[in-house]
Amino acid sequence: MRAWVRIGKKNRLRYVSHLDMQRLMQRALNRTTLPFAWSQGFNPHPVMSFASAMAMGWTSEYEIVDIRMAQDVTAEQVTKEMAGALPPDMPVYEARLVDDRKGAPMALVESAEYRILFESPDPEAVFGAIQSYMGEEHVIAMRKTKTGEKEADIRPMTYALNRQEDGSNAVIARLALTEKATLKPDLLMQVLASRAGTQAEGIRVHRLCLFGAGGVPLMEL
Amino acid sequence: MCNVSDRVDGLLSRVEKPSRYMGGEFGSVMKDPEKVDIRYAFLFPDTYEVGMSHLGMKILYHTINKREDAWCERVFCPWVDMEQLMREENVPLFSHESRTPLSEFDFIGVTLQYEMSFTNILSALDLAGIPFRAEDRKNGPILVGGGPCAYNAEPLAPFFDFFDIGDGERSTDEYLDIYAACKKEGASKEEFLKRIAALQGVYVPSFYDVEYNADGTVDSYTPREGTGAKPIVYKALVNDLTAADYPDKLIVPFGEVIHDRIMLEIFRGCTRGCRFCQAGMLYRPVRERSMERLLELADKLVAATGYDEISLMSLSSGDYSCLPELAKEMVLKYRERRVRISLPSLRIDSYVKDTLAETQKVKKTALTLAPEAGTQRLRDVINKGVTEEDLMRAVGDAFDEGWSAVKLYFMCGLPTETDEDIDGIADLAAKVRDRYFRVPKGQRAPGLRITVSVSVFVPKPFTPFEWAPMLDMDTVIARQKRLKEKLSAIKGVDFKYHAPDVSYIEAVLARGDRRCADVLETAYRSGCRFDSWSEFFSMDKWLDAFRACGLDPDFYALRPRDEGEVFPWDVLDCGVEKRYLLSEWKKALRAETTRDCRKGCTGCGMKRYEGACV
Ligand code: SF4
Repeated sequence: MRAWVRIGKKNRLRYVSHLDMQRLMQRALNRTTLPFAWSQGFNPHPVMSFASAMAMGWTSEYEIVDIRMAQDVTAEQVTKEMAGALPPDMPVYEARLVDDRKGAPMALVESAEYRILFESPDPEAVFGAIQSYMGEEHVIAMRKTKTGEKEADIRPMTYALNRQEDGSNAVIARLALTEKATLKPDLLMQVLASRAGTQAEGIRVHRLCLFGAGGVPLMEL
Repeated sequence: MCNVSDRVDGLLSRVEKPSRYMGGEFGSVMKDPEKVDIRYAFLFPDTYEVGMSHLGMKILYHTINKREDAWCERVFCPWVDMEQLMREENVPLFSHESRTPLSEFDFIGVTLQYEMSFTNILSALDLAGIPFRAEDRKNGPILVGGGPCAYNAEPLAPFFDFFDIGDGERSTDEYLDIYAACKKEGASKEEFLKRIAALQGVYVPSFYDVEYNADGTVDSYTPREGTGAKPIVYKALVNDLTAADYPDKLIVPFGEVIHDRIMLEIFRGCTRGCRFCQAGMLYRPVRERSMERLLELADKLVAATGYDEISLMSLSSGDYSCLPELAKEMVLKYRERRVRISLPSLRIDSYVKDTLAETQKVKKTALTLAPEAGTQRLRDVINKGVTEEDLMRAVGDAFDEGWSAVKLYFMCGLPTETDEDIDGIADLAAKVRDRYFRVPKGQRAPGLRITVSVSVFVPKPFTPFEWAPMLDMDTVIARQKRLKEKLSAIKGVDFKYHAPDVSYIEAVLARGDRRCADVLETAYRSGCRFDSWSEFFSMDKWLDAFRACGLDPDFYALRPRDEGEVFPWDVLDCGVEKRYLLSEWKKALRAETTRDCRKGCTGCGMKRYEGACV
């Protein structure tokens, strides 16, 4: 049996790195009485994985940890215990139990929805660029990779893009997030801004949701 | 103007390691500021990573936060990049928990762990916009210092309102109770200081008049009339460690700090009587925590923190009276939960070793030994009760059992040291190497590594060597060079040493008097901070500061003291009497040893304290 736990990461903790997150989660599990499973081998550790690593500086309300249990538990038990074991700025929203045969969340994620806050000398121009961007079939951008820069067509990786309707300088974007194709919010904003003839800076990314096949949120998949 | 928290937030994306300023760790204590009377900032004058590894802070954090009327928060020194940004953007130094500016606290408690962090204290006050000198702070936070360097904090005396000498578990509560009453009555800071001056362990430097002799030595410290200050301040002492406060929860940092594990203090004090060791004198007598209490604490801490390692702490853990039983119990108990126990590598009986081997896959990290001196004569001078035979047995056992790395720690510049003692270090390293090759080839672990680390000896107050001069830097450098040549002839030996200039300034501050405060301030203003970090230490700036203040650093570091000299720290009593230290100094010069007082009291003076060494 495995448990998926959806947690958040509030502003105060946005600089907790992915490596720190893993250590934190392991210690958090140790603080619970949950019957989680240990890996075999020389250096045993709890068997768990994250749906998707987060960049330093991001906040989120949709991080999913997959934890293997050695004995049966209930979702309520998992939610309650994890909430007590994580720092206050890492809220636990829900947990669900999944079958051992279900794929790892990491392999199931296809896209993510973000709220992207930005600063710009001309925010309206950035918003104005959304329509023409979405009207294109291809938008070629230089993507940074481990080995340097590479051209990529980012338009097909942009599933939805809208202005946040509350007057703040933010867009809501649903972007591809798979091993093969991932569009980073920063790059999208750069492209939008340059198409609008301005800049977008001070970008703050907040993850709203992770989706699997068919655009179904991961926790419902 | 937006609040401090938001402004701090705005800087974080621009600094290295932002998580060290983040706060919000699991286990950090949050309270409603409206519901407490006393806001206490515990300042560790170094980085977050260093401060979060410090046991004393964890204990006091727990002790103060247990009180309903007080909230203790942590404060660390920002690294230079953050410091610069904070200055540029006028962001005041803030507490970790609530990001409250330091200037808004009732107390700033500073732990004085090493002399080379003193400029960081000024840096912290400066960043907080708090005047340096206590006399310029009629209002605002009360600055209190504790920790080992509080035993001679004279170079800091004008900056601090008072020092709390000795064990802080009880004395902190005592002065906070008085403060709470004073606050209610609206009593002045002066009045508060007068009331606490009577407490054991409390030293209010401004209540004493200091007279100097024509030669620059101290003539006298006289308590001022009407202040209630005592002629001698006795350290605060907690006799029963089992009953004393100890945290049963800890803050668990996100990033890696230096000691990222549960620290369990198994006893305080040391009976061995090494003459160079200040901690060995300051923390007398030995007080053990009962095994039952330790097991209870370990249980609570494992559950509350989720750490997978417990380290048993003390000045020499091998001396804990029931170490084998304790280790065995803990190892067996936590096997299931995969919690490792780190133990001192020496003096563990074979049963424990076997249990360890079975259950924990003992990491064969380097075996660490501290002979401290290269010849038996010099080891007798410093009363390091270790013989060459003991050492060879320890390394021999280790090599036989598959270890291949040994670290040997020594000091250079010990009183009476000659070239012969330096050569002795090289001889010892060669013998260790030979011992390794005596293990038959197929059986020994490959890759012999011997590390010889040699630090520069700094004479400290409240040790038998408080009368001794530090060895001048030229001679230190010559001996380091000599040793380097000798060791380079031995294959597989790695030599580690440092330029003696930091130690020289440390030696000045360690035995400095009040006049050195001006030097500290001048040095700080000329840019000195993080002096224990070699990339920031500047000898030139320090020497300039002494010159500017008209003080001769050699007077403090290199001068042999007369038997009758009054020291700046004589106003304090650490338990071990000066007459005892003097007799130890004389014995040292005759290379006579003194036994471990576990084997029979040697009359150090500790028995003058009620309930000690009964
Ligand atoms: S009084 Fe005696 S037993 Fe106690 S610490 Fe001193 S020498 Fe040791």
